[in-house]
Amino acid sequence: MNQLSRRSFLYGAGGGVMALPWLNLTHAAAAESAEAAAPIRMAFYYVPIGVVRSAFFPAADKSEYKLTPTLKPLEAFKHKTNFITGLDRTIQSGTDVHAQCGSCFLTSAAPDEVKGSAYPLSRTLDHIIADHIGERTPFRTLELSCNSHKDNKESIYFDNISWYGTGHVAPSFRNPRQVYRRLFGTRGLKNYRDITDLVLEDAKSFQRELGVEDKRKFAEYFESVRSIEKQIDKVEQKKNLIAKVEMIEPDDVPLPRRKYIRLMGDLMILALQNNLTHVATMMVGPERWNTPTMYEGVFDKPMSHHQLSHAQGRQPVRQNLEKIDHFHVQQYAYMIQKMDSIKEGSRSLLDNTVFTFGSGLGDGSTHQYSELPIVTAGSGGGRFQTGRLIKCNQGTPLANLWLSYTQLMGIKRDRFADSTGLLKELDV
Amino acid sequence: MRLSRLSLVILLPTILLLAACQDAGAVETLPAALRQHCLRCHGAKKVSGKVNLVKSLAAKPGGLASDLDLIEKMIEVLSDGEMPPEDEKQPTKAERDRWIAELKRVLKHGLANQPCLARVPIRRMNRFEYNNAVKDLFELQRDPFALPERIVRDIGGYFKPATGKVPPFVIVGNRAMGKSQFIGTGNTLPGVSAFPKDNRAEHGFDNRGDHLSMSPVLMESFFSLSQSILNSPKFPLHARAWKTIFVAPDGMPSAQQRAEGKRRLRVFLRRAFRKDASKETVARYHQRFSQRLDDGTSFTESMKAAISAALVSPRFLYVYSGSGSQGDAKSLDDFELASRLSFFLWNSIPDVTLLDLASQGKLSDPKVLREQAARMLNHPRLKNFCDSFATQWLQLDLMVSAVPSDQRFRDYYFGGATGKIYKVGMHMAIEPLLLFETVLIEDRPITDLIAPDFSYQSDLLRRWYRHDKKKGRAEVVGIRFNRVPIKQPRWGGVITNAAVMTMTSSPLRTKPITRGAWLASTIFNDPPAPPPASVPKLEDDDAKLQKEGLTLRDKLKQHVTNPECASCHKKIDPLGFALENYDAVGRWRETYRTNLPIDSSGTLFNKHAFQDVIDFKDAMIAEKDRFARAFASHLLSFALGRKLDAGDGPSLDRIVANSAKDDYRFRTMVREVILSQSFTHSSSNGVESH
Repeated sequence: MNQLSRRSFLYGAGGGVMALPWLNLTHAAAAESAEAAAPIRMAFYYVPIGVVRSAFFPAADKSEYKLTPTLKPLEAFKHKTNFITGLDRTIQSGTDVHAQCGSCFLTSAAPDEVKGSAYPLSRTLDHIIADHIGERTPFRTLELSCNSHKDNKESIYFDNISWYGTGHVAPSFRNPRQVYRRLFGTRGLKNYRDITDLVLEDAKSFQRELGVEDKRKFAEYFESVRSIEKQIDKVEQKKNLIAKVEMIEPDDVPLPRRKYIRLMGDLMILALQNNLTHVATMMVGPERWNTPTMYEGVFDKPMSHHQLSHAQGRQPVRQNLEKIDHFHVQQYAYMIQKMDSIKEGSRSLLDNTVFTFGSGLGDGSTHQYSELPIVTAGSGGGRFQTGRLIKCNQGTPLANLWLSYTQLMGIKRDRFADSTGLLKELDV
Repeated sequence: MRLSRLSLVILLPTILLLAACQDAGAVETLPAALRQHCLRCHGAKKVSGKVNLVKSLAAKPGGLASDLDLIEKMIEVLSDGEMPPEDEKQPTKAERDRWIAELKRVLKHGLANQPCLARVPIRRMNRFEYNNAVKDLFELQRDPFALPERIVRDIGGYFKPATGKVPPFVIVGNRAMGKSQFIGTGNTLPGVSAFPKDNRAEHGFDNRGDHLSMSPVLMESFFSLSQSILNSPKFPLHARAWKTIFVAPDGMPSAQQRAEGKRRLRVFLRRAFRKDASKETVARYHQRFSQRLDDGTSFTESMKAAISAALVSPRFLYVYSGSGSQGDAKSLDDFELASRLSFFLWNSIPDVTLLDLASQGKLSDPKVLREQAARMLNHPRLKNFCDSFATQWLQLDLMVSAVPSDQRFRDYYFGGATGKIYKVGMHMAIEPLLLFETVLIEDRPITDLIAPDFSYQSDLLRRWYRHDKKKGRAEVVGIRFNRVPIKQPRWGGVITNAAVMTMTSSPLRTKPITRGAWLASTIFNDPPAPPPASVPKLEDDDAKLQKEGLTLRDKLKQHVTNPECASCHKKIDPLGFALENYDAVGRWRETYRTNLPIDSSGTLFNKHAFQDVIDFKDAMIAEKDRFARAFASHLLSFALGRKLDAGDGPSLDRIVANSAKDDYRFRTMVREVILSQSFTHSSSNGVESH
């Protein structure tokens, strides 16, 4: 954990406002140091309810492997992706399988490690990485969700993959306009300036009255207020940024699903590109949640992803499910392509990112957590090889991949959740 | 004699178990009984249902006696005859009664020893509470922002709990599904947009700690709201407290305005922060006010500046009961009690009366508590309780997303250019909610929630139940609901109504297992455990099954031969099948479409055999003590904002016993909840419950 107090970090040794590495460099200087200093970004694209395995995993012969119909949209970027098979997770019994697979996908807790909660759920990977690098950017992390349902059908455990800690969810944005305003908004922020000192004082005296456990949870209040302060301090820089950014604030009008997911992707990419954050998660849809969704251009009436997954024994249903998988991969490919078109020195934003596609379920109909569908795009700044089909031994923990990620980001850890070691095959 | 390791494992902890119990004589039967009937499946050879008695017996410090929740569960399954399972060796009735009595003794002893009231973690207000708090603070005549989750809108002004009566007809709207969902924010403050609705905890309510965390985004929303509410152009118009708080008295010289500001802030902060604000706290906010005033800002704007800051203070945003010191279950202090009362019955901050009683230290006096409970139950703000608790208890928000097939159930949809904009569900959802409100307002026995002799139905709904082809009045904004007698026991109540039947069905057919699980959870507070990882699938169109000559029930029987599945399904399936005569849109049917007969027979709690839903309702009324306890548990869990556990057992016992004397009248139950130890006490020593 960072020992610097947040305030001293903000104001720096000399008292001036902390400059961000990218925004103040001249164009040329930026280009020169780009290659040397390009920060690695971590992004996650989570799809719920697993995939139709037979149509997903590429069959491999000796050196060549062909992409399956579901994965076809990634053809142009095959050389920049890795397909990983054989990864597994342990189910801890006592909770709903869907709730656990989503909420514990990125968890750092091993099964049965967390007392006092039915879920093996504690601080997730994105926040653990952000603990290490989050101070570099105005926003430590960015949590997005494309769950547009308005009925309140499932509890938060089905609807979130990012968690500050056990029982402490990191709420995500569902509304593109809100994301835009959060990233680029300056309106009204100045008004908050003098309130923050006042309420922080109030909070300090309030905190003294709390018990030990509650003090810990209440830290969220300080973090939240200080994050607003940081944003206020960055207002001037933001104004310069908005002038450069070629995107106008989205409307509040509901969009067809493809456009909606792509817009959220655009915003995520903008944030990564402009170093507003280096860690982003996107949960493309909630786990279970039977309410039918309209997939415009794919089906002519709303479909329930979850209900389809349980009827996939029948051929027409399985075909529909494959269409949904294909739809999800398509949007992932769109984002990959966009990231690759952004130059950072001699590499692209995609090269400097590790962009992982995955689901917490291996198979939606039997609720298995084995043979998970995992794809990585980008190489973390050239830190590992791409263009491979990586076949892990059956039962290799997914957490091995996460442990490798922490190593890639420079964190010293010997274990992550139920990992047995680094994912050697990735060869970071 | 060499003892096997297993018997050693058992002998040692049974000594500990003995030590924890008072009556040494009868106790010897229990460990022997466990060894003979339970340990094989629960620890020795395997671990069924995640219950490992071998491990529990060996646990430190008191073996079995230190897991009171487990003991409670054991009492339950033994009393219901669920354990030992049917196909295992059964104890005699005398033996079973002895074991149960022994376990109850251990439980009682354990509760007396441990302080054990579970902790209520600190949490922020949820969306509904925030809205109400702001409304009450400024005496706003409308909600700051739209709250579609409050389903029943009182258009005609029927909700008057002080009269003890609901009129013979009422005019209401359905906020979530009526025309207003398309209009937007007609009846709220312009310029104010809310933050998203908080999710409900599984088998719980939306006031649970783990579901209510703060994030930078949310904090910004609160900052933004604190400004947009006060600066809304209609705020001065709709806030009755506008003048008293924000407008300087006529002709008051500016020298005096400073002091006046301080006085007003002290009054305001007392309400906003739910206790007498300390000198430092008042000074903090007063300084903000004075600085502005000194700079030449108007009294009004300076006041706004101070108050908008108070609205983002944690003392306003966070709900917290139980101060930090370690210790046994101790009484809540009066201010904490005032908050707990007002968040329970009004989903909002305490009013001045409650605060005054707290300041005088009188609130925890049982006589005063009774008076206040009665007063609060007569207050119009009680509507907040109904809007929040009833909808969540019955899980009626599922109505919004119920989508019966528009081909098989075409007449579920009506209106608009396509003839499909509105759903009959809009009317359906209101029926059980009005019943709930009526039972509460008229202080009827809660058994009227199951088998009442009246209901409120709209014209559309009455025709629906009668399979009438014509839609009748079919209002979409102000709907008229009439009080109608229920003469046929198959109708009426919170279970057998079209809303619940529709929302527990899939587009083409009923879902008996979902219905059974809903019933177990809502009526008996005994939700089934989550299903295991791999579940075989079931046809989603029962017409196909019926072509094979099978009903849904036949098909499920085939699935449930697996003993792992049977243990839960034996309990929940019969409950669901009891309701099989109600089709997927809540209408009565004598047979399936293919004329196959409907089998709605079963047994409740291994005690009451029933042939159809009418017998089933009789059986539930016969088990009204159990329903009362379950309902009290829901009420208490809502009031406390946490899950209940064994430590709340004694409180529940007392609530049920005292309410039984008064026929389980609703207001009596609420009062008993308030007077219970779980409500008036807290413990920061216990284990956090999630």
